[in-house]
Amino acid sequence: MYYVDLFLNGLIFGSMYALMAIGLTLVYGLLRILHISHAAVYALGAFITVIVANATGSIALGMLVAVVVSAIFGMGVYRVLYQPMLRYPPYVAMIASIGLLIFMEDAFRIIFGEQGLTFTRNPYPTQIHNLFGITINTVQIAMIVLSTICLVALALFTTRTRMGIAWRATVSNPTIATSFGVDAIKVRYLNFMIGSALAALAGGLIALLNNFVEPTMGFVVSYKALAIIVLGGLGSMRGTLIAALALGLVESFGTIWVGSYLDRDALAFLFLIIVLMVRPQGLTGAHA
Amino acid sequence: MLRLENLSCGYGPVVAVEDVSFDLPERSSLALLGPNGAGKTSTIMAIMGHTTIHGGRILFNDQDITRLPPVKRVDLGIALVPEGRRLFTDLTVEENLTVGGYRLSVQRDKINRQRVYDLFPRLSDRRKQTAGSMSGGEQQMLAMGRALMTEPKLLLIDELSLGLMPKMVDLCFDALAALKQDGVTILLVEQNTTRALDFAENVCVMTSGSLAFSGTSKQAKADENLFDVFISAAHE
Ligand SMILES: Nc1ncnc2c1ncn2[C@@H]1O[C@H](COP(=O)(O)OP(=O)(O)OP(=O)(O)O)[C@@H](O)[C@H]1O
Ligand SMILES: [Mg+2]
Repeated sequence: MYYVDLFLNGLIFGSMYALMAIGLTLVYGLLRILHISHAAVYALGAFITVIVANATGSIALGMLVAVVVSAIFGMGVYRVLYQPMLRYPPYVAMIASIGLLIFMEDAFRIIFGEQGLTFTRNPYPTQIHNLFGITINTVQIAMIVLSTICLVALALFTTRTRMGIAWRATVSNPTIATSFGVDAIKVRYLNFMIGSALAALAGGLIALLNNFVEPTMGFVVSYKALAIIVLGGLGSMRGTLIAALALGLVESFGTIWVGSYLDRDALAFLFLIIVLMVRPQGLTGAHA
Repeated sequence: MLRLENLSCGYGPVVAVEDVSFDLPERSSLALLGPNGAGKTSTIMAIMGHTTIHGGRILFNDQDITRLPPVKRVDLGIALVPEGRRLFTDLTVEENLTVGGYRLSVQRDKINRQRVYDLFPRLSDRRKQTAGSMSGGEQQMLAMGRALMTEPKLLLIDELSLGLMPKMVDLCFDALAALKQDGVTILLVEQNTTRALDFAENVCVMTSGSLAFSGTSKQAKADENLFDVFISAAHE
């Protein structure tokens, strides 16, 4: 059962990477901006979850507040940071985005302290269950259930609803979409709202699993999310999902097989480099 | 229905169209002709709201729409079949039509969709296919279908026949004739001058951003100098 556990563990981490990276893919697809500060939204989600949970005693409430506040924050980032920069080449916005990530990290450090925060009451990571011989804790179950719900809901939204279809149309051709009455500005806000909400959810869940949040938690994740969207073929949602799960699995098995030489985070980039050498167009092939 | 008054427009500071005026009465059709780079596409995009306006006015049913955003123009009944079709290539046929009917109720969407499928049975057979994977002719049908989903009063068509096989060209012009019969006002940009003159009652010819001729198709056919305009522009 050891390998099954590893496999499941890889998928769980992969699903968190997916929640985190989808926002990046959405922003890149629509605006061609590398939204690096998305990782700060993830960290913000984690911090809010802990703070609200500790203040109210309800972790569920903490996650809910984190998702809502981060979604609003994400829309604010678009309005304040990106919208005025759309006239310039995309790297201008990207550099500003890196600046925001560094700024937020320091802000977290100043406000919440260097050492980070823990939940005052969080029994879930240590509640171990045995399902069909697989060992899994409560947080991991929540990760599987919540990420599945979110990803299925997102898939249904983008293929079954008019607004979701109009959203994809805007990604495909913004000018023409407006010729058919789609409000491109609304689509952008929607984009940042959904992407940020998903990142905050991932942040909250990771905080629960580790029972710990720290100011730098967004940094490594930001690199990984970038690796994932490149592997996924930049702008493709399906590619992002596959790349995220693949990375989770590579890390999970890699730490066992080569973990004594390479650290978990270094593995991700080794994987990225190898894949791009073999398939420069990313894992899922060319994106039109 | 549509009236351009001394319109000048372009892209940012670049001027592509200068001082163009014409009048398009309700239920009429106008062919906008001219050599490459004459400003035909720019004129059409200005009517849809996608260019920078440098001067003049665009009136739609006596309402000044010169600075109205594109989203609002759709609601007035202006629809676009853009040059190069510009479909949402990774969306399916059905989904492209959904975007076309975005501003209307679900019931209207259903009725219009059926109408499009009746007009182009080929599209009906390919509902689940992605737009990008279809042939040029099918794509042009879809571009027209998408525009028809908006229930247009004024249809702007840029290069209907470009790159299509003769049979497809016939099919698209037949569909256009049916729409004209239904009372849709049509502004047609077309490379195929003969087809365009046979289809539309009125003609405007543009060269390097301005109007060189404006009159009925009959006059245009009789005017021998008109063809020189094309030829001399092509040799410029
Ligand atoms: N997006 C753009 N940015 C800047 N200039 C443009 C743009 N599109 C067109 N132009 C310029 O505007 C002028 C008119 O072009 P337009 O596309 O309107 O001509 P056209 O009559 O449609 O030509 P064609 O028959 O080749 O389609 C040209 O000089 C062209 O270079
Ligand atoms: Mg043109």
